[in-house]
Amino acid sequence: MSSKNRSLLLYCFPALLLYGTFVLYPAVGGFWYSLTNWNGLNPTYDYVGFANYRELLTDHVFHRALRFTLRYVLYMVILQNALALILAIIIENLRRGKGLFRTIFFFPNMISMIVGGFIWLFIFTRAFPFFANAFGIAILGQSWIGNPQYAFYSILILSLWGSVGYLMVIYIAALQNVPRALVENARIDGANDWQINWHIVRPLIAHAVTIGIFISLFSSFKVFDQVYALTGGGPGRSTQVVSLNIFTEAFAMRSRYGYASAKAVILFLIIMVITCVQLLVMKRKEVEL
Amino acid sequence: MSWQTIKTLSGRLLIVLFLLVMAIITLTPMLLAVLNSFKTNGEIYTNILSLPTTWQINNYIDVFRKTHYLRSLMNTVFLVVLSVSGIVFVSSLAGYKLARTKTRLSQALFVVFILSMLIPFHSIMIGLVRVANQLKVQGSLWGLALIYVGIGSPMAIFFYHGFTKNVPREIEEAAMIDGCNGLQLYFRIVFPLLRPITYTIVILNTLWIWNDFLLPLLMISNREKHTLLLSTQALFGQYSANWSQILAILIMAMLPVMIVYLFIQKHIVSGIAEGALKS
Repeated sequence: MSSKNRSLLLYCFPALLLYGTFVLYPAVGGFWYSLTNWNGLNPTYDYVGFANYRELLTDHVFHRALRFTLRYVLYMVILQNALALILAIIIENLRRGKGLFRTIFFFPNMISMIVGGFIWLFIFTRAFPFFANAFGIAILGQSWIGNPQYAFYSILILSLWGSVGYLMVIYIAALQNVPRALVENARIDGANDWQINWHIVRPLIAHAVTIGIFISLFSSFKVFDQVYALTGGGPGRSTQVVSLNIFTEAFAMRSRYGYASAKAVILFLIIMVITCVQLLVMKRKEVEL
Repeated sequence: MSWQTIKTLSGRLLIVLFLLVMAIITLTPMLLAVLNSFKTNGEIYTNILSLPTTWQINNYIDVFRKTHYLRSLMNTVFLVVLSVSGIVFVSSLAGYKLARTKTRLSQALFVVFILSMLIPFHSIMIGLVRVANQLKVQGSLWGLALIYVGIGSPMAIFFYHGFTKNVPREIEEAAMIDGCNGLQLYFRIVFPLLRPITYTIVILNTLWIWNDFLLPLLMISNREKHTLLLSTQALFGQYSANWSQILAILIMAMLPVMIVYLFIQKHIVSGIAEGALKS
């Protein structure tokens, strides 16, 4: 081995050791467990081939968790990015109060979604019914946690509250990178606000939009804290997302480590395929613009 | 006033109104939580919006004692400081050297490191619990910090790698001629040069680890080692429907972050934006 490579390995060794032990090895292990009937309690387990995956095909609770998660991801990707972009554009065009509004909207992002979830639980179960009575707003009087139909929107509201500020900050930074001279020139040439935004700003922030959509895809597929704090997956298991379904399968209810690992592999494959497709498609679009 | 100006003015008014409504929706949950944390349970049930008749400081005093607030705060600080300095140390070494070495091995290692950035935590957690159990690091804050370094280093290496490529080699070469050897060179010359990206990495990872819930939940069961979030969650279960005390717990759990946010808000926001746009 060359001396270059030897010193490279020396510098990388601490990182490699911890990363290998706590990320790579568990990841490979997880795939191996998904082919076994390990139940977490027994010291021994057997190789069962793809039996766990076959069982997944008929697991209705898992299918429901998948559908629920996909619906959540769809809403989040659209709403989180749209709201963040709208707020970013409005705030960037303000003459006064830019800093104040940015501080306000980013603030929830600093809070753990466990704490934020408990606070919103208070809002949904105490404040909403009170407002419904006091001001006669019927929609607020619904059972926002107990009714699965509404619980979906409760989770969505909590997640948007906690995450829009994050993307907004990214979009503001992207908008600030748009050269002012370019916009001024277009205005002198007679372009209106809409034309400027569409023809000049849009192509220049396309890269940020790719990143924004990637971030919301990746983070909403993994959603856990919000659901754990707000509904715990209930009522019944109607608001259980995939991550919570894996967690319950492995650590809370049945300790079926092998079967839960198969679910975890499926979650990984779905996330990988969807985010890779998104990045490839949007990168190509960026170049065209 | 022409029709055109009225139209633009009313348009502006609508936009500002929208912004204000959104700001109120964003702040209301926090304000209601703070307000009601000073009331008795009875007052909360009769009117959410009223001011407390007497400010119940007792809610906070009770909670402060029952959550062992200082203990769990110190545990969290200890965990975050240890993990983040670990991440900075191992990743700056690796990221810098990976960027400076141009061999097939360095390319392969870099790919191995960033490959895992697409693996969701839930896909490694079962294997991780087993490894932690076998290595006897489960249940200790030191062990938990080691795990955070393992999980957090790929992204930090990615950032250090990208940043190092833009640092001119001349400074290192000059130092080498002056007789600096490898590690000396790194600590005296290179690490200070990496400071801007180190700040970004510290901010991103502090926020992540401070607010992370699932990993501590899986690793720490001993109450004496509970982090702020774990003790908050444990008490939330015990006080069900006793909202005046729960809200006090929640406010206490947020307090450290809120204070830090108010002071270094600008750095946090620019750190986040830089971190995201660079990747």
